[in-house]
Amino acid sequence: MNTAHPTRPPPKAKAGEVLLSVQALAVAYGGIRAIKKVELEVKRGEIVAMIGANGAGKTTTLKTIMRLCPIAEGKVVYDGRDLADVVTEDVVDAGLSLVPEGRAIFPNLTVRENLELGAWNHRNANAIAETEADVVALFPRLGERMKQEGGTLSGGEQQMLAIGRAMMARPSMLLLDEPSLGIAPRLVADIFEAIARIADTGTTILLVEQNTRLALKYSQRAYVLRTGEIAMSGPSAELAQNDEIKAAYLGG
Amino acid sequence: MSPAVKRLLYVALLLAAVLGLEFGFDHLVKDAAWRQLALFAMVNVVVALSLNVINGLAGQFSIGHAGFVGIGAYTAAVVAGNVDVRLGPDDLGSVVRLCARLGVQDEVTIHKASDLVKSFAVMPPALLGAAFMASAFGLVVGLPSLRLKGDYLAIVTLGFAEIFRLLIATAQTGGDQQGPISAAIASLGGQNGYAGPLGTGVPQFAGPFWIFGAVALATILAWRIKFSGWGRALRALREDEIAAAAVGVDPTAYKVTSFVIAAAGGGVAGALLASMRDGNPTVQPDQFTFAYSFDAITMVILGGSGSVTGAILGGVFVTFTVKMIEQLQGLDAVQALKAAHPNLDLNALRMVVYAAVLIALMILRPEGLMGERELFRRTRKLGPIGKAPVEPVPVTTGAEAAAAKDPGGEARS
Ligand SMILES: Nc1ncnc2c1ncn2[C@@H]1O[C@H](COP(=O)(O)OP(=O)(O)OP(=O)(O)O)[C@@H](O)[C@H]1O
Ligand SMILES: [Mg+2]
Repeated sequence: MNTAHPTRPPPKAKAGEVLLSVQALAVAYGGIRAIKKVELEVKRGEIVAMIGANGAGKTTTLKTIMRLCPIAEGKVVYDGRDLADVVTEDVVDAGLSLVPEGRAIFPNLTVRENLELGAWNHRNANAIAETEADVVALFPRLGERMKQEGGTLSGGEQQMLAIGRAMMARPSMLLLDEPSLGIAPRLVADIFEAIARIADTGTTILLVEQNTRLALKYSQRAYVLRTGEIAMSGPSAELAQNDEIKAAYLGG
Repeated sequence: MSPAVKRLLYVALLLAAVLGLEFGFDHLVKDAAWRQLALFAMVNVVVALSLNVINGLAGQFSIGHAGFVGIGAYTAAVVAGNVDVRLGPDDLGSVVRLCARLGVQDEVTIHKASDLVKSFAVMPPALLGAAFMASAFGLVVGLPSLRLKGDYLAIVTLGFAEIFRLLIATAQTGGDQQGPISAAIASLGGQNGYAGPLGTGVPQFAGPFWIFGAVALATILAWRIKFSGWGRALRALREDEIAAAAVGVDPTAYKVTSFVIAAAGGGVAGALLASMRDGNPTVQPDQFTFAYSFDAITMVILGGSGSVTGAILGGVFVTFTVKMIEQLQGLDAVQALKAAHPNLDLNALRMVVYAAVLIALMILRPEGLMGERELFRRTRKLGPIGKAPVEPVPVTTGAEAAAAKDPGGEARS
């Protein structure tokens, strides 16, 4: 899978250096703090998981990184660039792509149109054709359904489409918001396997999940978000052995 | 054939067709009233095509399109009126000579030819002025309201169209304190309407050539917009604004631009309405009430939101339906009813029938006549798509399969 963007150079951060850093981030919806103080770092080439209960602020954190939510306090720095005054289109141009919660594909557009919209930031015909082929290789089920309307796909297929659409932008870093949400176990495994393969191409990944077991298995490091703050963090393997996490998120 | 030659050929064919209509429309449709109605339907097609860009493709609910049509109509009337006065009375000489050389002796045809020649001096500035003015107002209205989510656009467009109409309808030439802006608005004739700078009527130069030409151009443009990447971005915005923003589409920029394009199209339709040959030689504020905006929305929704073919069908259908229902008033039965109940408001009754027709159609075809589809599917040229690998992607290792089999066991706290 070729993930090199047709015009944007690769990140300045080298493999293992910090690519994304979120510093003391606070976000409010109409006065109510959704997140109070989120601190996290993702190094280039890593898969980092963020876990937490409903309403902990995971989606809000991802949306704020994409600059879809206003920042109340703190900073989001991507590859050395403060994203405070950057609009979402430019965040996409900078190399970040979001797979939104609940898939959020375009239901009345065909699978192919959905994918091509993903490439909006470069619209390079060769790159589009190439990534489309790569996405089909990654998710063969999509290949058979190119002309089908997105809304008529099964939940799992829609998730595949949402991931494929994000990859069409040739991102350096992929943000995934609960890719396992409401999807059959068998397909969840397929999707996580695909995420691992995307990571193998060098794409950095920040993965938000409620499926704690899988998230910890596929990631190198993880953060636990609790009521808008980071409660715990560390290597995923260690967190998986942590008693508190076992009790709270892994069902004992 | 090379694409350039092909394109040139299409343009030539189109020109020949509209020129043919200019001279042949009288013979094609013999009855003057029907001819008038057909041309009005074509103007409404332009109205529907333009409104479809913002309501159908971008999914923003604008309910004041009559305002833009009105601005276009007044602008075109002022521009065309002044250009016409400046040009002075017809100089038929050269046209007559040309016709003589071509062996045409028919008075009517000669007159038409000279009108057509003169229309080339009058219509372009009128159309451009109307489009420019309407889009400028579109920008002013759209910029603030399209930044906000939700139904703000609907409220603002409704208010805007009514303000525009009432401002003109109630303006009066008045006392010494009257400022220049107020005087300028009052010079548009208030409730009685605007009849050109000399009060002798707005020049009527939009015959079949200009009207069918505008329909053809509007259709081509609407088609290109819909099937360009641009149109796809608009449709994406309509479906999911956050997701569209997340792939890098700037919502405000696209919504505002499409609103301005829609306004410009409305302005062009207004210009045609004002200058329609054998039409009403005055432009009146009552032509642009909410009822007309409502008709425009009906055309789009009935035809099928987002469909170019649908907007055309909707424009024609609504124009004729409204007319047919008006004609019902002439029926003996209706006249008898009116005689028996003198207080009966036939106009209100007309709206009841209209509403019933609309409700019936929406029940029968909830997506409109066309849905989002088109009559002719566009064949797409596309690069090769990789074949799916023959082997399925390896799903899991043993341990992973075990984990995958039992995700329900994990606490979802
Ligand atoms: N648009 C909004 N307006 C007001 N409050 C919001 C909005 N979006 C989120 N919130 C609130 O912010 C808090 C964090 O929400 P968020 O969606 O980030 O949680 P989450 O961790 O993603 O939860 P889940 O796992 O259920 O998706 C919640 O209390 C939520 O109610
Ligand atoms: Mg969430």
